[in-house]
Amino acid sequence: MYAPLLANRYLTSRIIPFIAVAAVALCVALVIVVVSVMSGFLEMVRASGKTMTGDVVISRPITGMPYYQELIKEIEALPEAAAASPIVETFGLLQMQYGTGDGGKQIEMVEVWGIDPASLDRVADYSRKLYWSKPADAALAAMSPDDPLRNPFYHRDADGMRLATADGRPGLVLGIEISPFNRRGRDGAYRTSQAPGAPQDADYFMPNAGKVILTLVPVSEGGSLGGERKRDFTVVNEFQSGLFQIDANRILVSLPVAQEMLRLDAAPMVSRTEFDEDGRPKVIGESPSRATTIVVRARPGVDPVTLRDAVRGAYARFHERISLDKTLPVNPPFPDLVSIETWEERLSDFIGPVEKERELMRTLFSIVYIVCAGLVLAIFWSIVQEKTRDIGILRAVGASRTGVLWIFLRYGLLIGIVGSAIGVLLAWAIIARINDIHTLLGTAAPGWLRVAAWVATAGMLALTVRGTLRASALHVVLWGFGTAAMAVVSAVLLQHEGFLVWDPSVYYFSRIPDSLDWHTAWTTMAGGIVFSVIGASIPAARAADTDPVKSLRYE
Amino acid sequence: MTMLLEAEHVKKTYRLGRVDVPVLRGASITVDEGEWVAIVGSSGSGKSTLLHLLGGLDRPDADSGPVRFAGEELNRFGARRENLYRNRDVGFVFQFYHLLPELTVLENAMLPALVGLSRVRWISDRAALRKRAAELLETCGLSHRLGHRPAELSGGERQRVAIARALINKPRVLLADEPTGNLDIHTGGGILDLLAERHAEGLTMVMVTHDAAVAARAQRRVRIVDGRVE
Repeated sequence: MYAPLLANRYLTSRIIPFIAVAAVALCVALVIVVVSVMSGFLEMVRASGKTMTGDVVISRPITGMPYYQELIKEIEALPEAAAASPIVETFGLLQMQYGTGDGGKQIEMVEVWGIDPASLDRVADYSRKLYWSKPADAALAAMSPDDPLRNPFYHRDADGMRLATADGRPGLVLGIEISPFNRRGRDGAYRTSQAPGAPQDADYFMPNAGKVILTLVPVSEGGSLGGERKRDFTVVNEFQSGLFQIDANRILVSLPVAQEMLRLDAAPMVSRTEFDEDGRPKVIGESPSRATTIVVRARPGVDPVTLRDAVRGAYARFHERISLDKTLPVNPPFPDLVSIETWEERLSDFIGPVEKERELMRTLFSIVYIVCAGLVLAIFWSIVQEKTRDIGILRAVGASRTGVLWIFLRYGLLIGIVGSAIGVLLAWAIIARINDIHTLLGTAAPGWLRVAAWVATAGMLALTVRGTLRASALHVVLWGFGTAAMAVVSAVLLQHEGFLVWDPSVYYFSRIPDSLDWHTAWTTMAGGIVFSVIGASIPAARAADTDPVKSLRYE
Repeated sequence: MTMLLEAEHVKKTYRLGRVDVPVLRGASITVDEGEWVAIVGSSGSGKSTLLHLLGGLDRPDADSGPVRFAGEELNRFGARRENLYRNRDVGFVFQFYHLLPELTVLENAMLPALVGLSRVRWISDRAALRKRAAELLETCGLSHRLGHRPAELSGGERQRVAIARALINKPRVLLADEPTGNLDIHTGGGILDLLAERHAEGLTMVMVTHDAAVAARAQRRVRIVDGRVE
């Protein structure tokens, strides 16, 4: 019963254990903060990656899937599925004219999605991805005064949903990062800079109906290229998925337009052997329109894997039903030739490296555990050295070696628990306010803080002088270091005009992830405790081996 | 009278660096139950070493004679019995008190009892143990100091706490190593009076001292010269 009493007293009546507690707390907090930010970043990447794709993606590139409307009906009848939307995916060339002449011409290779805005909105909240739209009141209040979105002129939700201008001309929605004249500010808002040679009021591309030319090349079922098809489009909006790769490469047009340009729309089928009375090939039926991709949203509570399996079943049934219907001129592709994946499987090439990066950080920062064990070991070694006589007394009154060992192990355990718990709290406090801290770093220090820092420096200097007058080396050293550190802080504050660590224009997300990764918190806390005990075990074993006679002579 | 403690031609050699230093060269002593024996001798004669061997704090050389307690050879004790012997059968009082600075007077006095107590028994026996320790400290004149830390006590008070601690488990023998060596004559006299009271109640005592006046309070004196009993 003496072990817990002594462990508690050693912890509460001395300063040195608090150094150990602080060391453990800082180590634990460091790991949790870094891994939490990385986990939050990964979650933001995952959430952004999922945008526009729903939960499950059915894909048959280039030639597409006929009767996709039937397939969508089959899928939407599934209890696991909430909605489905057809897409035509391809690549094309986008020509953007900024100024006059060839010097103002910009040609980009882009990923083209032909979409049905209404159904895509049900699957992937398309309308919420349109950048030039009316913000919610709360968001409006938080916006910078010069944010263009404050101006109702820029609220172009309807055009984006129509994928056409108000007068019916075909419209196109660009990824927000495609135009090189779009500038993302530190506040995360986009503003348009002037293109060289452009008219003063030119605003590329939003919202003044900038024109672009899209060139697509259809590919036949036999794999041969058809003639290129060019068409003028008016930029009616821009979208922001949150994922740079998508926003810098993808454009959206309406599904019928994409189908028509790629010759995936409905068309008459002709015989190669039969001809009509005019000598032209005889029309024997109609080839149905096609979609290369169908995105599916799961009902709430249904996980993507379950939905994927259900969709695979639905496709097999769809294929069998259509194939057996001899009145239909074409068959859908065999199930094995159609890719049906969850959004995570589809984006694994992108999410995988970020996940690996997080695990790498977690592994590298695990070295902190060894530092933690080393600190506890060093501090406990000194405590055991100092407590040699106490150990001798305990052995003299009948304490066993195991009992002595357990005092210090328990002591280490207590330090581990208290230090790790403080570390978790500290990490939580930092993570919860990380954006405020960041904002604070990003703004110039207020005058009162600069004055206060210099006053504190002067105060510490006075204490150093007092230590010198009293010939106290300890006070001189402690307050001397304090004065030097505070002088550096004061000088930095004087020069500090604000700097951004997390630049939204680099990291793409406007806010630093600020949610604690509780799984990491608990595992790190457990690690902190275990390594504190490991660190304490060697000095504890040394204490247990202490010869009582020798230690009692130590006076 | 029954013989309680016996050392028979015990030898103890310490190794200092590469040199073997024989401290006890075949010392013998017997202590009867209820007896108060003073071991006297000059500094370095081996009297404290003999006390440590009697108390099971140290073990004699391999070629040494045995140390016996109530007929049992201490050398044959396993670790558990040896701990129990130090906890229950003997009580130690040291020259420099050796109190634990983090514990209060009451807790210091209770320490040997706590060592032998499981958590379950602590819950059931806590009140009784506190009461016994408080009574013991009261007999030592420290009832007003129970919540104090050792650093707040005078030398004499500290030694009284050490005596209370040595007696908390009602040992059969008290081993005292220069119990007044660090105290002035008046305070030392008080400590000896306290020990004499315990002896009068039947406690066996072995006391190491180099002070003839202190040794005179014992019933019997044993002199050690160069590691042997004269």
